Amino acid sequence: MSAILQESGKKVLLMGNEAIARGAVEAGIQLIAAYPGTPASEVCEALIDAADDSDYYIEWSTNEKVAFEVAAGASIVGARAMTAMKNAGLNVAMDTYMTLPYGGVKGGMVIVVADDPNAHYSSTEQDTRFLAVYAELPCFEPMDQQEAKDMTRDAFEISEQLELPVFVRSVSRISHASGDVTLGPVQKKRNTVAFNKHYKLPYRWNVYGAPGAVSKHEWLKGVFPKARRIANKSRYNSLELVNGSKVGVISSGVAASYSREAVSRLGIEDRVSFLKLGIVYPLPDELLGRLLIGLDALIVVEEGDPVVEQLVRSYAKENACGVRIFGKSYNQIFKPFGEINTDIVSKAIAGVMDITIPDDPRESVRKKVSEIVAPRSSTLCAGCSHLGSYWALKKALKAHQGVHIINGDIGCYEQGGYGLFASKTDVNDKNSKKYPVLSPYEILDTIYVMGSGIGLAQGQAQVGYKGGKVVAVAGDSTFIHATLPALVNAVYQKADITFLIFDNRWTAMTGHQVNPNTGLDTLGRKARVFDIAGVVKSMGVESVSTADAYNLEEAENEISNALAFEGPSVVILKGECMLQVLRRAKKKKTETWVDEETCTGCRQCIQLGCPAVTFNKEKKKAGIDEINCTDCGLCEQVCPYSAIKVGGKHK
Amino acid sequence: MSIDIIVAGVGGQGSILASHIIAEAAILADSGSRKNGKKAVNVRVGETFGAAMRGGAVASHVRIGDDVYGPLVGKGQADMVLALEPLEGLRIGVQYIADGGIAILNREGFAPVDVKIGAARYPSIEQITKALERLGASPVVFDATSLAIEAGTAKAMNVVMLGAASASGVLPFDESIMLEAVKNRVPKKFLDVNVEAFRLGKEVYAGSKPGMSQQGKKQNA
Repeated sequence: MSAILQESGKKVLLMGNEAIARGAVEAGIQLIAAYPGTPASEVCEALIDAADDSDYYIEWSTNEKVAFEVAAGASIVGARAMTAMKNAGLNVAMDTYMTLPYGGVKGGMVIVVADDPNAHYSSTEQDTRFLAVYAELPCFEPMDQQEAKDMTRDAFEISEQLELPVFVRSVSRISHASGDVTLGPVQKKRNTVAFNKHYKLPYRWNVYGAPGAVSKHEWLKGVFPKARRIANKSRYNSLELVNGSKVGVISSGVAASYSREAVSRLGIEDRVSFLKLGIVYPLPDELLGRLLIGLDALIVVEEGDPVVEQLVRSYAKENACGVRIFGKSYNQIFKPFGEINTDIVSKAIAGVMDITIPDDPRESVRKKVSEIVAPRSSTLCAGCSHLGSYWALKKALKAHQGVHIINGDIGCYEQGGYGLFASKTDVNDKNSKKYPVLSPYEILDTIYVMGSGIGLAQGQAQVGYKGGKVVAVAGDSTFIHATLPALVNAVYQKADITFLIFDNRWTAMTGHQVNPNTGLDTLGRKARVFDIAGVVKSMGVESVSTADAYNLEEAENEISNALAFEGPSVVILKGECMLQVLRRAKKKKTETWVDEETCTGCRQCIQLGCPAVTFNKEKKKAGIDEINCTDCGLCEQVCPYSAIKVGGKHK
Repeated sequence: MSIDIIVAGVGGQGSILASHIIAEAAILADSGSRKNGKKAVNVRVGETFGAAMRGGAVASHVRIGDDVYGPLVGKGQADMVLALEPLEGLRIGVQYIADGGIAILNREGFAPVDVKIGAARYPSIEQITKALERLGASPVVFDATSLAIEAGTAKAMNVVMLGAASASGVLPFDESIMLEAVKNRVPKKFLDVNVEAFRLGKEVYAGSKPGMSQQGKKQNA
């Protein structure tokens, strides 16, 4: 049975994302739509696992904006609906996200956004709580997995009370951490699905409907005081006043967990008053007012940007001018970037309160010992088709002079821009780009967000960059998610770029979710396969070809033809994600081997970047890591001396 | 009171499953002791993973205690580092192991790509254990992978390590509860193999089966 459907009353270990999913189940959710994005993907995945034994509709949508709209549509007809996304996903959904609150929703709608302080899995550390404030939506922030579940469940109720979507802001340390969760009862009742064009407001679901958008904004402003009353009374906001204390701590979300631990570690429970926030917007002004009375210093501890701090400062300016406020902006006791933890919070609080924390005498030993800890660079998997695609691209580019610009995108293949931790890079203007790059991990020049590569490429080409070829790469899921308008633009504006689509059939990097190109639907049933080549052709691209990423000669030829073509050209490089291939067909004994007699130690095979190809420095010979090798044949094709062979060793 | 454990390894070795088994055992033990009116413990597992690529460093923090809230072990505070891969044991040990903490290491190394291509050096097991000793920890090393193969599959290496961990005396619950958690969490098809793997790990640690290197070995620490 699915972990999130266990019986009510039981105490179980749940990952934060599973806890959020369970909260939705307890609330009687009717629809969930999402696009994968680490660290939020498991919310939808847990609900997919439980779908057979449940009655909600669930889908992996083609992007976050579509997912958001699917959930909003369900809510407009009265259903309880949820969407879950990573920080950057909200940027994609932004247009509808900002507009839906004008008039709000009917069925409870919950927007789960998992932020990623320290950018463990993301392009940025953006704090989406700003966007909750921006859209004027109530914002929950759980401190642990139990709260993640309970808040999600209650968020549906509050959403229906206020007729507004409710924002649940998680972070990696909640979503991807696990904790004990006591399960609650599952609501059996479902909202009626019906439509009412003028539900409580004229033209409720049409911002332009008379009397117009401003009146809807006025309605939205009218909800705020009600939301604040809820925040002041919520059990997720709690005030612990210590009589006569001169120092206060305000802490929200996971930071409240760190702060509690820090206060107990420092042994100052009887010296500081503590306001724990679970609803950060609207700020519970009554509780805040009671906390501030008589304080000299207030320490604001939060994960991300100083969102709570700024709201508190603005309140304190009018109501408690004498209090000195410490945080991430003025009176900075935390770095305004990276993530925090109990150690950091302890030090910061100790600093404000003049408490000395003794140094760990082992610090000098740590420094010394660290020197022997070899780095472990992130790589593409052994036998990954992207290794073939990058090799072919590198070879095809060699025929052209100059400094080529390779615009990357988001997916496993973005590792083409990670570099290797252990390799020394000569970083300066003069030497910033020279071919051949030493490994596929150095090939990408730009990486920002999903779909950005093909747009950037057009700007480079259109403004007249002639220093070399201009290329963009994107995976199949990214192609569908975010590159379609950009490709139409390239055709319409006749941009001289080459666009490579790395088609591995799965949304692999976030954990192998399906997409329209997989041939399976969200629940694993057979589905129509999206026709990438057909779509590209129908957009008007004149040079379109398909190549096998595991056939290096074919792939290089097709890329060469595309590079030579004037105008937009597209090559689809096909090779299913090797991990998926191995999941279906069990790995056999490795047949790839290096004939050491023939191997000259030229290290061409090392430049392929496959983690299963090894090199013995003493012997100056290549080798194969038999545990990881998948017999894909790429290194055999790469070796100029035919020293790497697949099969035939024991004959 | 809290117990902090970090399971360190390389993606694909099952370190996250191992940490979840420890956490589940803590919840089982708590549900049992609550009947006797004891204070409830909190259990947290903080983990770093996400990208689906294999071979990356994985560290899973397990925290058990009535004053535990956050998912991460503090610097220099791990009572135990359970290393499914020795280099990862050192990487985590340097930052996290407590003075007097215990480090249980699987002997079998998994070279990072940086080492494979000759850009970095993989330290010897002796260098690794010596470094951990300099940090005030007690390292013990054994070949968990071979024991797992002996039990039936190399994949059960993580459970061999759990057997050793439960014999160390550091965990705040009985071996039998840990075994129950193992049974709950491993695939039914491999139940017997894992029970055997657990037993082998336990025995090698307790010394009733040879294979454990003695350097700095501390029983019932």
